[in-house]
Amino acid sequence: MNESSPSIAPTGPAPAVVAGMNLRPAARAAGPSHLEGTPIGQTIGTVTVVDPVFSCRDVNVHYGAKHAIKNVSLDVGKRQVLAMIGPSGCGKSTFLRCLNRMNDTIAGARVTGQILLDGQDIHDPQRDVVQLRARVGMVFQKPNPFPKSIYDNVAFGPRLHGLVRSRSDLDELVCTSLQRAGLWDEVKDRLTQSGTGLSGGQQQRLCIARTIAVKPHVILMDEPCSALDPIATARIEDLIDELKESFAIAIVTHSMQQAARVSQRTAYFHMGSLVEVGETDRIFTNPRHRLTEDYITGRFG
Amino acid sequence: MLEGHISKAFDGDLAALHIRVLEMGGLVLDQVRQAAAAYSDWDSRISQLVCDREAQVLRYAGSIYDDQVALIARRNPVASDLRAIIALAKVGAELDRAGAEARKIARTVLQQSGRPGRGTSSDARHLANLAITLLRLALEALDRLDAEEAEQVIDRDQDLDAEYAAGLRRLLTRAMENPAQLEVTVEAAFTLKSLERVGDHACNIAGQISAMAVHLSRTSRVP
Repeated sequence: MNESSPSIAPTGPAPAVVAGMNLRPAARAAGPSHLEGTPIGQTIGTVTVVDPVFSCRDVNVHYGAKHAIKNVSLDVGKRQVLAMIGPSGCGKSTFLRCLNRMNDTIAGARVTGQILLDGQDIHDPQRDVVQLRARVGMVFQKPNPFPKSIYDNVAFGPRLHGLVRSRSDLDELVCTSLQRAGLWDEVKDRLTQSGTGLSGGQQQRLCIARTIAVKPHVILMDEPCSALDPIATARIEDLIDELKESFAIAIVTHSMQQAARVSQRTAYFHMGSLVEVGETDRIFTNPRHRLTEDYITGRFG
Repeated sequence: MLEGHISKAFDGDLAALHIRVLEMGGLVLDQVRQAAAAYSDWDSRISQLVCDREAQVLRYAGSIYDDQVALIARRNPVASDLRAIIALAKVGAELDRAGAEARKIARTVLQQSGRPGRGTSSDARHLANLAITLLRLALEALDRLDAEEAEQVIDRDQDLDAEYAAGLRRLLTRAMENPAQLEVTVEAAFTLKSLERVGDHACNIAGQISAMAVHLSRTSRVP
């Protein structure tokens, strides 16, 4: 029953790789050519949400001759976090600053298009900008507590806007705000000490407490963790997760991992245009636009 | 798709992982080839070689797993990069299983429970050639990340399945003709099944390549 000359290959050392395989074909060496040729201009994904706090349509921003934001339409939904990502200078911070009219303070800035907050145009001449900024709080990149006591930092807004009638109401509001910002246990015994004496992470949480003390509808965050260490960052991210149950949050971040961790929707900006927006899970697993894919995978930026 | 990052080190890590999986594929392909030859020729020496090299296959699988975990931890890949790493992990697992099938065939010979007849050896050789071809094509498609080649592997698996069914029928006929050879027949059936499974693993590898390609084409279709 012996077989003569088996057609199966004879014994020999295992090849390092399959014979004849080309390990570095030209197509691979050329980079992500399969995604090239995708134009910018039209936003990929659904810009609207069912329950919007902010509803922005065809927003354009010019800084003098520079066209910084180009026809951006985007909603910010209630009880969710919207992350805005993109390379430096793409317009994400500029767009964020449109939402509480911070661009009004910049000489030469011109904002056009419609931005509705709870259905009302924020550019309505009748609208009080101070009231708008009370409803749309903002946390900045660098913690900026007032050079006042911890108590006064939080109490400043409610006093300014007349939100409390008595000292006991104010005490309660300060306490609640610090608790919601996750700072109460660390500062309850030193409320009269200066806010600037706290650590960076504590200062940022103090700024968040100061923001939520005036009971805003929306909190805007412009790279709130970029100056913080990983532990302080994790605490802020936990806080964002808790705050989204009560507020709409829009956050600009350069950390893709942070956007993936904290947000439910992600918007990708590129050269002033909103390239793609969608559920965060989808954006980070199945981006549909070449530019989004290239940016989040680190192929440009 | 694996290159072009701003971080050249990431490109290097991904390319190294890809090459390591291909190296493992080359080793497993040779294991299957040797095991099938050993069965056809009833050669204990080659069978022993296959069993000895099983440790090498397992070392590859272990190091590829470690490399993947390190790459994910260090680079936090997303989108197509993450898909590629997960796909390579699955390919590694399929190769591990294909290697285990080769070891099973080799052990059958080492147990020396009874040499199969000429017809069964011929069926095994034919089935082995089909399975080895599928595995080789799947690895070549993986090397080039070629979805069309991968689809061909998936299509051609039907031929292997049909040959397996026909071989099994012939084996049963022989068993009925000669019930005294029942043990040999059972061992032969397991061997044919192992070779058919190698084809399935090749098919699964091709499926991973296709899945990556579908994602890429969907991304590129956007205006």
